Amino acid sequence: MEKIRELKKNYEDVQIPEELDFVVRKAINTHKRKLKKRSKKELKWASGVAAAVIILTVAVNTNSSIAYAMSEVPVVGKLVKVLMVREYMIKEDTYNAEVKVPAVEGLENQGLQNSLNEKYLAENEKLYAEFSKDIEDLKAAGGGHLGVNSGYVIKTDTDKILSIGRYVVNTVGSSSTTFKYDTVDKQNQILIVLPSLFKDDSYIDVISENIKAQMRQQMKEDTQKFYWVEEGDISPFEKIKADQSFYISSNHKLVISFDKYEVAPGYMGVIEFEVPTEALSNVLVSNEYIK
Amino acid sequence: MKKNKMYGVLEDFIIQNKESHYRLAYSYTKNKEDALDIVQESILKALNSVDSLANAEHIKTWFYRILVNTSLDVLRKKGKLSYVEDIVLEMNSEEKVDIYENFDLQNAMDNLPHHYRLIISFRYFEDLKLEEIAAILGENLNTVKTQLYAGLKRLRIEMEV
Repeated sequence: MEKIRELKKNYEDVQIPEELDFVVRKAINTHKRKLKKRSKKELKWASGVAAAVIILTVAVNTNSSIAYAMSEVPVVGKLVKVLMVREYMIKEDTYNAEVKVPAVEGLENQGLQNSLNEKYLAENEKLYAEFSKDIEDLKAAGGGHLGVNSGYVIKTDTDKILSIGRYVVNTVGSSSTTFKYDTVDKQNQILIVLPSLFKDDSYIDVISENIKAQMRQQMKEDTQKFYWVEEGDISPFEKIKADQSFYISSNHKLVISFDKYEVAPGYMGVIEFEVPTEALSNVLVSNEYIK
Repeated sequence: MKKNKMYGVLEDFIIQNKESHYRLAYSYTKNKEDALDIVQESILKALNSVDSLANAEHIKTWFYRILVNTSLDVLRKKGKLSYVEDIVLEMNSEEKVDIYENFDLQNAMDNLPHHYRLIISFRYFEDLKLEEIAAILGENLNTVKTQLYAGLKRLRIEMEV
């Protein structure tokens, strides 16, 4: 019993950090905000999907040449859009899944459109299959909590640029959030990848250094912010991946995105850095996309 | 109970017990940032799945269950925990008890398979009943008892469970 008392004392002597109270309240508030947002969002989705269905139905029913005519319209940019084509749902006591699959429509470059749409479908089918299997495993092991929520956001939609972000949030039983982006040049009908924007590989270092400086600056200005950027952190951020997640904002800026846990503790969530165009001026191929 | 009321109960519970929850998370991670992360994630998960909490009397075990799952998850993600957990390996290998010349109690505790450590923490530091621990871990009572004995034996502690 003496030994247990000793261990218990050590256990209780663990210092409670000052941030604990903040972290707890922030989590509660985050949840409240999310509830509000979600109820609005769901409404929007519902009407968006209904509208898309009506348009397609009408077009098909009235005149089949409409569909053909649509692809002939010269200003393609305006017609390119993103629709939700499929939705998977699981709703059981402790298991929840909501998976929304986007698809791009209206690109003249059918090859590009198909490859994007096939990718989105495959990603989500895989996610759904994995989740179903996790549920089976967990049930076999005696039950538990699991949730996954996947969907998409349109980050940018201008005459020229379309940036679609797809996210996966494991809400229960796991805790990751990942974001992946595709950015399409609607006028030239091409998919923009990060390396294609730059003259050579030196962009990796240029962007990384800029982001590190931003991280340090933010931490200095706000003690609640924390990034793994200093030596001595468990796995400090060194440089971005050559194909790091990114999108181009509607005001033509490059935005680099990091998944949860990628460069900071989980409470920081998914993180984005806008890289000032001046910092990139020496490495950009042109100012066509980024200004 | 109405959902809103359950939210209120859960919020109060979370705020009142934050230190216990932090200690338990810390006993897993031995690291402040990760422990805070686990506490935060667990709260979000709990609030998101308040529907699955049918009876406010079960709030303690229900929340600990989420906390344990989240801890495992964070550790796994950080590569600090292998997928085949220690306990599985233990069960499949012949029993052996390491004997140390200089027996450092806390050190021995820290080196226990985390499952044993968890059961000991719940039983003696958080004063939970064995039945409650079994409910949290989703195991039957006898398994928990056996594991508690095994953990104590490793620490060379003789006592009535």
